[in-house]
Amino acid sequence: MKQSILGRFGIYATLTVICGILLFPVYWMAITALQPVNKLRQYPPELFPSDPQWGVFRELLARQPFGLWMWNSTLVALATMILSLSVSVLAAYALSRYRLRAGASMGLFILTSKMLPSTLLVIPLFAVFTKLGLVGSLWSVVIAQATLIAPFATWMLKGYFDTISPELEQAALVDGCSPFGTIWRIILPVSAPGLAATALYAFVLSWSDFLFARTFLATSQSTWTLNVGIATLKGEYETDWNVIMAASLLASIPIIIVYLVLERFLVSGLASGSEK
Amino acid sequence: MIDFSSPRHRAKFGYMLLAPATILMAVIVVYPILLSVNISMQDVRIADIAKSEPWTWKNYRWLVKSGEFWNAISVTFWLVLFVASVSLAIGLSTALLVNQRFKGRTLARLLVALPWAVPEVVAAVIWAWIYDGSFGILNWFLLQLHVVKSPVEFLADPTSAFFAVGGAMIWKGYPFMSIMLLAGLQSIPEEQYQAAKVDGASTWARFVYVTLPGIAPVVGVTVVMTTLWVFRDFSIIYVLTKGGPLGSTSTLSILTWEQSFAFFRMGHGAAVGVVTMVLCLLISRALVGRFAQNVH
Amino acid sequence: MNLKALATAGTMALSTLLGSTAVNAETLTFVSWMKDEKGYGDWWNEVIAKFEADHPGVTIEMTKVARAEYADTMFTMFAGGNPPDIVHLAAFEYQPFADTGWMEDLGPWFEKANFDLTGWAGQGTCEWKGQTYCLMLLYTSYILAYNDKLLADGGAALPTDWDSFLDAARKATRDTDGDGVTDVYGVALDTTIGTTMMGDLLNFVLDAGGSWTKDGQPTFDSPGVIEGLQRWKTLVSEGLTPNNTGSGDLRQLMSEGRIAMRIDGPWIYSATRKAGPDVIDHLKLTQSPLDPPVGGTSNVIGMPSSLSPEKKELVWDFIMLAGSAEMQDRFATLGLSPAPRPGLDYTEQEKSVPYFDLYAAANKRAADAGIDRMPKGLELEYNQVAKIVGEEVQRMVIEDLDPAATAATIQKRVEELVAG
Repeated sequence: MKQSILGRFGIYATLTVICGILLFPVYWMAITALQPVNKLRQYPPELFPSDPQWGVFRELLARQPFGLWMWNSTLVALATMILSLSVSVLAAYALSRYRLRAGASMGLFILTSKMLPSTLLVIPLFAVFTKLGLVGSLWSVVIAQATLIAPFATWMLKGYFDTISPELEQAALVDGCSPFGTIWRIILPVSAPGLAATALYAFVLSWSDFLFARTFLATSQSTWTLNVGIATLKGEYETDWNVIMAASLLASIPIIIVYLVLERFLVSGLASGSEK
Repeated sequence: MIDFSSPRHRAKFGYMLLAPATILMAVIVVYPILLSVNISMQDVRIADIAKSEPWTWKNYRWLVKSGEFWNAISVTFWLVLFVASVSLAIGLSTALLVNQRFKGRTLARLLVALPWAVPEVVAAVIWAWIYDGSFGILNWFLLQLHVVKSPVEFLADPTSAFFAVGGAMIWKGYPFMSIMLLAGLQSIPEEQYQAAKVDGASTWARFVYVTLPGIAPVVGVTVVMTTLWVFRDFSIIYVLTKGGPLGSTSTLSILTWEQSFAFFRMGHGAAVGVVTMVLCLLISRALVGRFAQNVH
Repeated sequence: MNLKALATAGTMALSTLLGSTAVNAETLTFVSWMKDEKGYGDWWNEVIAKFEADHPGVTIEMTKVARAEYADTMFTMFAGGNPPDIVHLAAFEYQPFADTGWMEDLGPWFEKANFDLTGWAGQGTCEWKGQTYCLMLLYTSYILAYNDKLLADGGAALPTDWDSFLDAARKATRDTDGDGVTDVYGVALDTTIGTTMMGDLLNFVLDAGGSWTKDGQPTFDSPGVIEGLQRWKTLVSEGLTPNNTGSGDLRQLMSEGRIAMRIDGPWIYSATRKAGPDVIDHLKLTQSPLDPPVGGTSNVIGMPSSLSPEKKELVWDFIMLAGSAEMQDRFATLGLSPAPRPGLDYTEQEKSVPYFDLYAAANKRAADAGIDRMPKGLELEYNQVAKIVGEEVQRMVIEDLDPAATAATIQKRVEELVAG
């Protein structure tokens, strides 16, 4: 079907306006980060910086162990992604291929993990991690986040596995491949888009974690993640908005890049999951 | 060695695969829930997790009598309604828009859902700056458009603070709707549209009779997930208003935090948390009975 | 299978990285909101350096937690059974921790060390239910910080009492460029709910002859409090102070030359030192025009009762070092305000900061009047009381309520709170 010139123009115009409004906060963060302090409180504000101050990043890195926090955030997000993905792949495969009575409560399980106010969880979890000796270790955040992410990830993956014909695995089993070997060699390679979608979901959620990191990692600044650092900056340099925004910008860039790379899998992964 | 491929042991292998997930859930979710229920039944300011006091309904009686609790219920209700409905509207329209065929739709798809990737704390900090009462850009826009005569303290007035917090949450919440709905739209088979077109259905009729039923289950799931997210969210409200002014943004999640951490009344805090959990359970059962069945 | 090997290696590498951050046994953990702060933060660094030099093999890991998140972070750490080894708290928030039995009774330690606490400023606040739980680190009272240029530009004189204070605030509040937006505010009040706001409001209550409590009973509906509320309402509703602004922002605005007067603790001096050359010369301090000035205890140091005996000995050494004459002298030098230890000689400090006499006189005024910003009898509920007062004061301003009615509401809510 050929669209009329007017219709196409309409789409582009609407998109430009909508994206302009929706993405303005991100733009404003970048602009504020580059403004010199004395121009932050000026009316009318500059919508485009006439005198961008790139030194703000150097100042930030000099004042705070920002590189270390970024490294910690990366480790946490990667480990959370791996842990939640491993657990969910196994669970999703079980739910997809075996008729388990436990499967009936799966929907409830997913929702339960989304229902707990994290403010209620932190004190019991702090006690749990103290017993396990994990307070002050990034593992505490990884385990807690991975557990809360796993149910939805399982649901996404199960939808994907359901679309894969079981005949492939049966052939492999007949050839003497172990059940784990089957998952590893047959299922995972053909589910790459579904895995990528789930990975992105896990990565974005764990990168966003604040309350857990703030509670479990408080005693040791060397284990802080970016979000804890930013919240503290906000409390400390209440009015140095350029510094706060520079920190926010640095914290957003990695996750936005991951998002840009993996987004196409997210929609297709979800689409095949919700097909049935 | 058990032969897992034999039919007799198939189920056992299935449960073995579920074991890691189950153990994690037991330690990280189930145990804290039990502990919280236990604390909510004790008459304590600061609970000692190692030992338990005798059980009492005192905290729940406080809850029922307390104005703060009913205020939090009403704030949470209105915030859920506001955030979920506007997020759905924006999410659906952006999803429909980027589901069209045009050059550059890949880029457009990326851009409309971009805020999803921005961490919550960062989102809250950005909005705090946009809303700033003396120097915020929003005030400048409104002054330029002559909507207001002098700068507004968005976070100082109960009504505007509610909408300010809601606005920030919508900005963080709509992209997930958009992504899920786009996935839903793409899973509608093209043949259904073709068939409807052959029958002479108008664009509007195709939207009502093909698109809407096709994405209805996804809409259900996403609305529930957004609802639960608003119920539970802490970072955005905490950074922007901490529940004020005059409790106008004090949701159940904030009240739980405030009682436990600011007032050192863990019994009260746990009671609010447990009620929140039960409410969430009821709402999701009511809204997605279908979803729960759909999963297995 | 190369992929599998790669994945295994990757996972193992990751787990090593994640695990490498564990704290070793010879480390004392110390959480404080003052880390990296100019003045007090530098002082802590000196105490830590000296301690580490005296105790080879022991390191102190100091971590910053923002003041806004401080109490609940400490609370979680104690409740979860993993408190920091060195406990640093505000003087108005240690009580629930002591009351729960989380803090060590330091009485026997002071006795064993033969440490004389006579004349130690504010140490009385460290006593809770007959036992000593901490060492007071700062007792101070409020003074008036003002910008003499902004007062002169508005044609206002330096205030000496409430009436002249209000007059000066009205004159100094100005829209300098005529765009309809106030550029200079006459005064700066913390209008965000919390204990700082309680302190700011107390200035006016005390001057009007009121107090939060009498003999441990709440007196929020007394005439002095009502008059204090009336004054607050006047200042806020006439737009003489920035609204919805916290104390940190206010000190920043003061450094930017946009605030003419603020009544605050001596820390405002160091907090405004970063002001530009056109502002800094005009920023001055004098006695608070309100009488008696708000005074009180600020922050304390102690130790958790759950520590091992060996660690307790170490932490005690740390506390004693912080309280030693040498370190207390450094405290006055770096913190730019008198230290709580009695009998120190401030001639050196007078040379660089001209306000030591002023601080001492202000402390004496407050101490003679028996002032502490903590409401006696409401220590455990202080945060909650501060929230009630804050909310009702906001409501009074927003809905233009009668201060007497607001006072009655506060009194009723506080009484309900105390009754449980």
